[in-house]
Amino acid sequence: MLFSRRLMLGLAVAGTMAGALAFPAMAEGPTEIDLFFPVPVDGKLARDMGTLIKEFNETHPAIKATAVYTGSYDDTLIKTRAAIKAGKPPSAVIMSANFLLDMQIENELTNLDSLIAADGTTKEQFLGQFFPALQGNAVINRSVYGVPFHNSTPLLYINADKAKEAGLDPNKPPQTWAELTDWAKKLTKREGDKVTQWGIAIPCAYDYCGWMMETLTMSNGGRYYNEEFGGEVYYDTPSMLGALTWWNDLVSKHKVHPPGATPGPAVSTSFISGNAAMIMLSTGSLTYVRDNAKFAYKVAFIPRNVRNAVPIGGASLIVPAGLEADRQKAAWTLIKWMTSPEKSAWWSRATGYFAPNMAAYKTPDMVEFLSKNPDAKTAVEQLDVAKPWFATYKTVPVRKNLEDEVMLVLNGKKQPKEALIAAQKAADETLKPYNAETSLKLP
Amino acid sequence: MSLAEPAALPVAASAPPRLLLLKRFSARFKASLPAYLLLLPSLIFLALFTYGAMGRVIVDALYQRATPKAPVRFVGFENINAVLADPAFTGAVVNNLVYAVGTAIPSIGLALLFALALSRTNAVNSVLRAALFLPVLIPMVAASALFLFIFLPNVGLLDYYIGRLLPVLPNWLGDYDIALYAIMVITIWKNAGYYMLFFLAGLQAVPEDVMEAAYLDGAGPWQRLRHIILPELKPTFLFVTVIATLNAVTQVDHVFVMTKGGPSNATNLVLFYIYQQAVEHYDIGKASAATLLTLAALMGLTALSFRTMANREGGS
Repeated sequence: MLFSRRLMLGLAVAGTMAGALAFPAMAEGPTEIDLFFPVPVDGKLARDMGTLIKEFNETHPAIKATAVYTGSYDDTLIKTRAAIKAGKPPSAVIMSANFLLDMQIENELTNLDSLIAADGTTKEQFLGQFFPALQGNAVINRSVYGVPFHNSTPLLYINADKAKEAGLDPNKPPQTWAELTDWAKKLTKREGDKVTQWGIAIPCAYDYCGWMMETLTMSNGGRYYNEEFGGEVYYDTPSMLGALTWWNDLVSKHKVHPPGATPGPAVSTSFISGNAAMIMLSTGSLTYVRDNAKFAYKVAFIPRNVRNAVPIGGASLIVPAGLEADRQKAAWTLIKWMTSPEKSAWWSRATGYFAPNMAAYKTPDMVEFLSKNPDAKTAVEQLDVAKPWFATYKTVPVRKNLEDEVMLVLNGKKQPKEALIAAQKAADETLKPYNAETSLKLP
Repeated sequence: MSLAEPAALPVAASAPPRLLLLKRFSARFKASLPAYLLLLPSLIFLALFTYGAMGRVIVDALYQRATPKAPVRFVGFENINAVLADPAFTGAVVNNLVYAVGTAIPSIGLALLFALALSRTNAVNSVLRAALFLPVLIPMVAASALFLFIFLPNVGLLDYYIGRLLPVLPNWLGDYDIALYAIMVITIWKNAGYYMLFFLAGLQAVPEDVMEAAYLDGAGPWQRLRHIILPELKPTFLFVTVIATLNAVTQVDHVFVMTKGGPSNATNLVLFYIYQQAVEHYDIGKASAATLLTLAALMGLTALSFRTMANREGGS
């Protein structure tokens, strides 16, 4: 009897607590929203994000935003998906731009069209603020699903001192693959069989490798994937074969590129230490190189074989599906504020990414910054020839299908042609369920 | 029980036997109730976070969701078959076997060597023990980040010193044939100090009088090791072997930080494969199936080794 009374008491207490958990914040207060943000480059970014959100909260008393650090781009996707599955989606996320399609296919994104319409603007006006190259990864089936926040393109970084040493003019950087091969040969130093200075290094680790393959393939006239439909990639094509063969030739034929798969940080360290005279890397590394290089350096467009073309990289702001209306609205206010010209320009200067909002480059601070750092301008100029980042159903595994084969080639284990045939076959297999439901679902 | 029997008999005569049984049962239950109540919190959490999760894995392994629009459907053993047919999984299993053998043997060997060298307690040995144990205290993720720099091609610490001796500088983590061994070096470096502790403890248990007798009989250091110390350490060996094998399957932090299983799956281990299926492929069915297979293999292995241990203990 005594025991059962205690039990009842316990149950009552537990019930009250559960009730309190179920109905939090009955009192009126600011709308609380959280923003998931990754740090793909340096640790300083987290501090800059804190500054940004603090300023937002001070200027918007009706909203209380919290920035939640969620690791790398890939980790951020995982954590966002976990939060959505648990029924507690974050209000906004800075998401790698090429994950949007996959998320949309999985019904994990809020269509932003109605929010744009509620502001009294048209989709065209809204998208018109951003560089055209960025729109491909933000718009799916003619609906807006993401707002470009910070973006990048690949660049060719040249150690100008070493170029001069080798009798090359750093002010006339190589523009074609032929010229680049020639430069790389002249910039490679050997002691017997041992290479003490590499002519060029291109990163190849999961994620970076696929992006560099897209870069080389596009410079060779190719497309990598179907921009209009998430069920197709073009791996076994002449344009990609040429790209991979050239990369392989730099390694095994000309021996001017380090063998094996080298991750991005190893490539940038190699450049900073003078071990690699030229590298291909994201514009996102520009601030890092500027702060650490103890020599004169130059940045240039990625050289072409057929045409000048590069993919974009970077991230967009998204609103996950399944959010209450008031938090959705608050998140939209935050997103618009973060992508406004002033904030966009400030973030660009802090990180090295370029500002997606074109008006950002007209702000006085930015004009002054660019006149002091002309290298930051190259990335913006290259945007004229930039194209969307590959995005398919299951982007990461489809990308890995190619990367695994490219790594085998760079390790001298496979020839480019057989590697690409294998990559195509593996990717087709990964895409099969999606095609069965879309392109191959016939009446 | 037998003492209580006479007292219980008269009651049995007045009441039907069934009721008595119930009464007895309820009495026993009443007696052990506080114990169950005390266990309840941990039981709830065990059920929620251990058995519940395991049950969920078994259920998930039987279902498949082909695409976002397709409904989840029961597929039985199809997921398990798909995992077994996946060359990436078989590759990961082979890698894991190489990794387990290649890390367990050297780290246990080193651990034994360290323990034998430092078995006497004095100031110098204490300092050396602490130094050897230090890697255990560094979190695997931090250690991996450190080794990323050590392994950097051309400019890393390793190439800076070894580079002068080798004809060609290897790309430690980017070379298909070397990467797995580079990963193994970290595991050995990190675990040898930990296993040393067990061997130090084991050495304390070697009977003093037997050693003394061996001395008096004129047994040399090698004979003492071969015929007294090693046989005495048998249980320690078995235990450490089990721990090392479990570690080889459950520790993949360094793979995650350093190579992500690359290049071309050369460093992909089973647990990382499961992570990839769940997170990158978003295929919970296949991930759960691979988890089940791994769990079954691990449980079998552990049962086998502990049984051997029990047999040996009993036999001696």
